[in-house]
Amino acid sequence: MAILEFTNVSKDYITEGQSVPALHEVTLNVEAGQFVALVGRSGCGKSTLLNLAGAMDFPTSGQVRVGGAVTSTLDDAGLTRLRRTKVGFIFQSFQLLNTLSVVENVELPLLLAGVGGAAEKALECLRLAGMEGYARRMPYQLSGGQMQRVGIARALVHEPVVLLADEPTGNLDTVTGDGILELLRGIAAGGGTAVVMATHSLEAAALTDRTVRLRDGRIAADSGH
Amino acid sequence: MAPLQVFYRLFLRPLRRNLLRTTLTLLSVSLGVAVILAIELAGDAAAGSFQASVETLAGKADFEVTSITGVPAEALGRLATLPYDLNLQARLEGTALVEPSLRAVPLVGVDMVAGALQRSGQQLKPGADGAWIGIDLARDLHLNAGGRLGIVVNDRRAEYPIQGVLGEGSADAVVMDLGPMSRLLDRADRLDRILVGVPNNQPQRDWERTLRAALPPGVTVAPAGARTGENRKMLGAFRWNLRVLSYIALVVGAFLIYNSISVSVVRRRTEIGVLRALGATRGGVLLAFLGESVCLGLAGSLGGVLLGRLLAAGAVGMVASTVNSLYVSSRPGAIALTPLTTLFALALGVGVSILSSLAPAWEASRVAPVEAMARGRVEHQARLHTRRHLCFAVLLGAAAYWAALQDPVAGKPLFGYLAAVLTLGASALAIPALVAGLAALSGLYLEHLLGVEALLASRSLAGSLRRTSVLTGALSTAVAMMVAVAIMVGSFRQTVVVWMEDRLQADVYVRSAGGSGGDRFPALSADTPERLARLPEAAAVDAYRAYAIHYHGLPATLGANDVRLSARYMRRPYLGGENPAEVAHELRSGESVIVSEPFANKHHTRKGDWLQLTLGEHQPRFRVAAIYADYSSERGSIGMDRATLLRYLPDPAPTSAAVYLKPGVTPEQGKRAVEQALAGRMIRVFTNGALRVEAIKIFDRTFAITYALEAVAVFVAVLGVAGALIALVIDRRREFGLLRFLGASTGQVRRLILFEAGLLGLLGNAAGFALGYVLSLLLIFVINRQSFGWTIQFHWPVGVLMGALTAIYAATLLASIQPARIATGLNPIEVVHED
Repeated sequence: MAILEFTNVSKDYITEGQSVPALHEVTLNVEAGQFVALVGRSGCGKSTLLNLAGAMDFPTSGQVRVGGAVTSTLDDAGLTRLRRTKVGFIFQSFQLLNTLSVVENVELPLLLAGVGGAAEKALECLRLAGMEGYARRMPYQLSGGQMQRVGIARALVHEPVVLLADEPTGNLDTVTGDGILELLRGIAAGGGTAVVMATHSLEAAALTDRTVRLRDGRIAADSGH
Repeated sequence: MAPLQVFYRLFLRPLRRNLLRTTLTLLSVSLGVAVILAIELAGDAAAGSFQASVETLAGKADFEVTSITGVPAEALGRLATLPYDLNLQARLEGTALVEPSLRAVPLVGVDMVAGALQRSGQQLKPGADGAWIGIDLARDLHLNAGGRLGIVVNDRRAEYPIQGVLGEGSADAVVMDLGPMSRLLDRADRLDRILVGVPNNQPQRDWERTLRAALPPGVTVAPAGARTGENRKMLGAFRWNLRVLSYIALVVGAFLIYNSISVSVVRRRTEIGVLRALGATRGGVLLAFLGESVCLGLAGSLGGVLLGRLLAAGAVGMVASTVNSLYVSSRPGAIALTPLTTLFALALGVGVSILSSLAPAWEASRVAPVEAMARGRVEHQARLHTRRHLCFAVLLGAAAYWAALQDPVAGKPLFGYLAAVLTLGASALAIPALVAGLAALSGLYLEHLLGVEALLASRSLAGSLRRTSVLTGALSTAVAMMVAVAIMVGSFRQTVVVWMEDRLQADVYVRSAGGSGGDRFPALSADTPERLARLPEAAAVDAYRAYAIHYHGLPATLGANDVRLSARYMRRPYLGGENPAEVAHELRSGESVIVSEPFANKHHTRKGDWLQLTLGEHQPRFRVAAIYADYSSERGSIGMDRATLLRYLPDPAPTSAAVYLKPGVTPEQGKRAVEQALAGRMIRVFTNGALRVEAIKIFDRTFAITYALEAVAVFVAVLGVAGALIALVIDRRREFGLLRFLGASTGQVRRLILFEAGLLGLLGNAAGFALGYVLSLLLIFVINRQSFGWTIQFHWPVGVLMGALTAIYAATLLASIQPARIATGLNPIEVVHED
């Protein structure tokens, strides 16, 4: 069953009065447990696709369905609820809050959603990410790879159905990056969560189940088909 | 040229991009400079008006001849018969209330035969029973020659035909011929002053000797204008303190400039690194940031000059009201914004801007090219200094305590001010530790109590320790000064209330309707006490007479009443613990006086000292029997028994009368009886309660300017909070975007900003309250004591403080509305991905 469905999705941005197409007639289904790589040059639409998948933006036309909910039918509160329950984000520059400790960073999505037992769940996710010994540290005391593992733990803490990773190894060396990819692969292999990863790296894409190549806002190739 | 271009592109242009924040910083500088300028201009205008219209009408005079109860007319004859070409101008002076508004104006009687008004070019008919009015009065009250002028003088009403309107410079004076005016004042054979113009053929000192030799005893000769100098000297402490208060807004502004430049440095760390890598020198970076602050200071000060000139117009009335109530009759003069004052204001604004930006500019110049570091590390360093700052704070606090114990310097509480500055410094240094401590403490409970937004807010404030500390410092300084002044004024007010309970023991008080003031004591008709004593309701009547005198070059008040009566009703001992009955006994001997606390302070007088007074033709010496509390005037007063006064100055007309009623007579019944007994006279009758209410009204009016100054300082601080929150939102936009990605609703982001503002307000109020309490002790027991010599009992004005702190807290919360709007309007996708 598809967890993430794009049906004829187009997205245009208006820049200085000009319409600039970012995605054009994209149709894509992602199943639970799949590890999907989105590849392509800069500006091909990878990040736009992730933002639409994460209910952070609306398509200009077509339909995006996340965990069964059509994003364009939801208001701001509905989209927020969707993000709190179904979507997890991983960023290239980790985006940890420097003022919070590692465990507090991981707890944050649950606290924002008002879910109880945040500390226990956060520690469990840190254990999964191999960071259980760093819970009380501050982000600036960690290496890049460690920060990204914390970022992954935070993305998993509310048990999303889809994990969206934007260049998760872009700021890491090869060895550390491979470790992160292994972790993501393991998460997808768990079966409950689909992982969609935007990347420039073909080596990283080679480790996924499926590679979707984007060119000028269209799907140029999809190894899953 | 090229460096200027780079400076413009990298430093000035961004100011335009951050328009709201720049505007708020400029506004805080403008307000700071404006308040100082306004107080300076208003003080000059209020104090510079002693030589108002009546002086300018007189033309050139070298000396003035005066006496405590008036100069005998024979003195004029003696001077006129001297074999010199003297220009003599005899004057009677008073205050008239002009109908219908009862505006108080100077009333001047001149000898028109002698042509005293030649300078004004008026052709006045000598001996005419009419009045000439100043041009401002004519304009304001729409009066013209040929009309009628109704005035109240002392306890009489009179009406005169208006003979003409005087020329430019005559302001609002009412001028009459000596004859009709002496009849109006009931002052036959007595003049208030004789102005003397002398030829230039010998030194002034010789002329002074010559004139004195020709005059009867008890009459003094002083260079013309000496009185103005004395008044200025008397006002010195008042103006000095007002000036110091006016600087608070600029001090608060300085915190905000510091914050603005600090934010600029932190935000541009990477940029500075790049600039240094491209060849910019450390000196160049330092100069660039200082240049930014100079531009902010200059632009803000220019606005401040314009605003200050406008504010001065409002402030001058408030300052003049205080001067009139506590010191001397003063009519506000014109506000004069001179090039020198303008330059002073600009230099002040720019100077403070440079000083407050020195530290962050220096820090910017220390950034190494490779060290375009992350915020976390910068803040970590700031936290490491917290303990060291706390140690310095303790040292400064100890120094402040030492300074508070020192004596005044040349009558000024310079060490008191130093103690206040050191206390402010200690507080600024202790605030980072307070913020870090409170944030750590609050972080433990806030999440459980108020949710994740409160936790994030407290962590964010603690994370931006430097900025939070500066903002808390600015807000707490403003709050502290407000708290300190509120406690000081509240304590003073309560002290006055308690003092009045003791001092005002009579049931009904009578005084003339003619305008009274710090140095104006319009008299009642001489038969008033006798008439009142005949009332069946009256148990006793105490007549009080006051004269404006000069003692050792300073204005003072000489007052006398029946000391047996006041001792009978006085409930508290004198300041030195003396028994009222024993002091009354000593005063009845006719060889002793009592002096007020401000008098004792000004003239360093103690119990047992001897004072020599010029009373009429006599110069008796009096022993000081006790020092009494007196909060009615800062001029300083000498009190004696009425019988003693009448022995030297046999004018029975009292200034006021106090009526003690028989048991069973209510104050209202007594008041009605007094009004009936004095029907037809222009008097004001107060019951004891009404007089107290009136006195407190005057008190509140006197301190209105103080509150206004504090309000501006608080307003500047709240502006700073608003500006800082906007800067904070812009700096942390990526964080807000991220929170949206992580599932935060717009409401949660809004609440986060609100909590940050709330915590800032709480820290500012808490630190400000504690600091304000310490400053209030300095104000009450050091600065006020050394400046004015008043003993004030400490009192918490709970209602005022609660109201003011709540208002400030609410204003801080309101200041978060716009930043919250900006934060929720951010596009999370854009801000999270921008680098």
